[in-house]
Amino acid sequence: MTIRNAIRDHGQRYRPRMVCLKKAEKVLLEMQDPRTGVKSQPQRLVITTIPHAITGEDIIAWLADRFQVDPQEARSFGSMLVALGYIYPLQDHKRLVIKPDASLYRFQTPYFWPTQQWPVEDTDYAIYLAKRNIRKKGILELHEQEQYNRLHKWMNHKWDFIVMQAKEQYRAAKERKKPDRVVFECQERAYWVVHRPPPGTVSGMDYGLERRIDPNADETKTPDFYERIMIFTQQSIMRPRVKSSVSIGALVKYCTTYNSHDPFLSKCLPSNPWLTDDVTLWSLNRLYVDVPTKMRVERWTFSFGELLSDPIGRDGFRLFLKKEFSSENLAFWESCEDLKWGAAATMKEKAQQIYKTFLARGAPRWINIDGKTMEITVSGLRHPHRYVLDAAQTHIYMLMKKDKYGRYIKSPVFKDTMKKAIAPEEHKFTDAQLEQNARNRRPSLSPIILRQQEEEQRAKMAASAPVDITQLCRFTTPVPHLAVYSGITDSPSATASPSLPFLAHTPACPSPISVALDSNSASERRGEASEGGAEGNHEARGPARGSVSKSRVALSLRRLLKRGCTPSTMFASLSPKCHSAAGTSSRIQPISPDEPSQAPPRRIGNFFQIKVDIPPECRIYPIESEDEDEESRAASRGGVGAKEIICPWESLTPHNGTG
Amino acid sequence: MPLVNNKVGDDSTVGKDKALADGQALVDSLIKVVACYRHLASCVGSCTDSLQLRDELRQTREKAQKLAVSTCQHLTSHLRDKSLPEDQRKEMELLWVAFSSSLELLHVDMCKVFKMGDIFSLAETGTLVQTGIQGGGSEVAARALSLPDLNQAEPPAVPAGMESQEQSTLGQEISQIDHMIDDMEMKVNVLRWMVEPHGPQYADPLSSTDSASLGLLTVDEEQPGHQPLCQRSHIFVLLMLFAIVCVAATLSVCIVLFS
Repeated sequence: MTIRNAIRDHGQRYRPRMVCLKKAEKVLLEMQDPRTGVKSQPQRLVITTIPHAITGEDIIAWLADRFQVDPQEARSFGSMLVALGYIYPLQDHKRLVIKPDASLYRFQTPYFWPTQQWPVEDTDYAIYLAKRNIRKKGILELHEQEQYNRLHKWMNHKWDFIVMQAKEQYRAAKERKKPDRVVFECQERAYWVVHRPPPGTVSGMDYGLERRIDPNADETKTPDFYERIMIFTQQSIMRPRVKSSVSIGALVKYCTTYNSHDPFLSKCLPSNPWLTDDVTLWSLNRLYVDVPTKMRVERWTFSFGELLSDPIGRDGFRLFLKKEFSSENLAFWESCEDLKWGAAATMKEKAQQIYKTFLARGAPRWINIDGKTMEITVSGLRHPHRYVLDAAQTHIYMLMKKDKYGRYIKSPVFKDTMKKAIAPEEHKFTDAQLEQNARNRRPSLSPIILRQQEEEQRAKMAASAPVDITQLCRFTTPVPHLAVYSGITDSPSATASPSLPFLAHTPACPSPISVALDSNSASERRGEASEGGAEGNHEARGPARGSVSKSRVALSLRRLLKRGCTPSTMFASLSPKCHSAAGTSSRIQPISPDEPSQAPPRRIGNFFQIKVDIPPECRIYPIESEDEDEESRAASRGGVGAKEIICPWESLTPHNGTG
Repeated sequence: MPLVNNKVGDDSTVGKDKALADGQALVDSLIKVVACYRHLASCVGSCTDSLQLRDELRQTREKAQKLAVSTCQHLTSHLRDKSLPEDQRKEMELLWVAFSSSLELLHVDMCKVFKMGDIFSLAETGTLVQTGIQGGGSEVAARALSLPDLNQAEPPAVPAGMESQEQSTLGQEISQIDHMIDDMEMKVNVLRWMVEPHGPQYADPLSSTDSASLGLLTVDEEQPGHQPLCQRSHIFVLLMLFAIVCVAATLSVCIVLFS
């Protein structure tokens, strides 16, 4: 026979963090002992006296004596007992603390003790509120009124019962003697202050999630149980071990570093929202703000992971890498993250794209990883899964961490960011203002709205960020779900892409397009694209200067395509002009001779690329030319050894003899 | 108002109405007994806990169970009757909801009393919590059992045996109530969201003398020594009482005239 939960709850619910209740009950039974417990005194009211009232200072003295602790701790312990509802104050009943003076308290009757098994019922609360309303109409406070109306809406079918029960309980209470009635009312009121706290107060009964299994119950020893124990111990043996000095040292280091950044352990500026109900801290520290706070910037110096996980930090780092012309590392890392965390449907495609963009020989944004890792990755890519690029990603991560991160932290850009970061002033709220804040507490924005705002922010940042023109190619211009590889915008969503300015200027290479155009027009004598190319270029130049819209650029590009201007000429002319191309001019030079013969009619026009580590064979195709398939593009490739970037696991159809 | 105990009025109505009235009366008395049981239960474990209290609890519980069984039978039989007219069915369903809610409350209270009886054994009076209650629940029990007063001689003190027996009986009764609730749900399908209450949202304030003085008591707790206010409030209260009595009289006259 089981005593079941009253609300016919067929799922058991256990509140494991409320294990303290059993212990508190033991202490309370000791406390109330007439001989050895806290000294009680009668409470004098106008009409009567009620016994068993205890003073706050007596409680604290008793606790300090019993547990051999100092008064401060005894006071906190006493406050905990009051907050849980085992003792209730007689004066100032809404503040559940122990005051170390002569203010009076009383023990709560066991019926109203907080217990594990019986959750607090809304029906009872409704009856209680109705009873209070009987006694004196309009006595309900604002939050109680709101709760009452809410319960009236949700428990409407029971409402007659609730009103009747309230009346009956009231009448039954009248049968009792006056002092008992008073005591009972105080007990009930105290019970509901604990379990339905007024807004702006902290409830001692917050216990987190309920669990389905009682963690304190003994588990039956079935074979299943033993099997689980065996698996657990086997795994424990297999776990790699670290010396405790090392691990503890790491913990200590972590704690000391983050101590001043933890809002619970140290003061946070401007004010801790949990304490003062003022949300400035959160609004200043939103994911995408214009100016980060000083604490946030300081956190970036703690570790590379911190820098990357903060979007603003990552953006700053990305800009820095662009200047150093190694932004493909970060782009690769981000694309790996995208693969790991993205949807399973597009995974295979993404893996292929990543390979073509970053890993293949001759890829446009080729990253520098060692041969062994490359081997592993490529062989893994035959059957791509989420974590196939893990080894390469780790390698790149370590590379960035060891080299670039240190440089970034020491760079003037970062120091500038640090200087510009805001350090807010501390709030000094008076008590009245604190109450005002508590009253004005509002729930935060819906997550949908937050996400929309974030997207807008990201789009804005992407639009305003200088585009790395050197990175533009078919694989790096933002395709809807593959936009992450472009190194220009984070968001894989299509919303960001329309804002991408194709031909904006980069700080590093001053207007390479214009340079190219100039040189192009100058050297454009060969090939069938000469006049058309010049015209096309002139047209292309127009939109290049100002702010561009994609469609206009596309239009000009189309014209460019038709004229079929070749990239090789531009390569040759551009390479000496751009300072970063020093090392690879040898690669770029030899293109020129072969060019004109290999210009099939369907060849699409090309964009310029000056990037050092992009091998010259790569053609950069504007985004509009998606209808071309690989073969034709391969066919259109000129240049020495221009091999189509095919994934090694795909069938190797010979692409017209080049390579 | 269907929730008013209309034993005064409609004796001349059809059988079905009588059934409704009977059901109403049963439910009302069950609610009353449950309320009293709750008051008594709140004293368990406190310093006034005694054999007498436990005895009163037992008696109240038995009364409640008797009422519950009869109400259950009454309501179940009527609700399973397919020929019940629609408005009567609605009233019956309302009664049903009230009945099941009071049964749930009774179940909770019984469980709590059981649990507390385990923890607070009457043998060790030192562990009974000093809560400030002085009197027992005799008057409440009297109200529950509808007796003018409870003349009970203190039963001979055989604590251990009596208690354990009572505990086991209580355990059995709890399971019985469990079964009753289960059966109810199985036999009769009442859609709770279709039930609409008639009554007001707020319980009407009852006679205000006691309420006012009780208010005084609690007010005095907060600020001891508020004497002059009492006098003024007393006079005000008396005036209010007179006014209310007059209003009640005129209303009853109107009802009698118009019914």
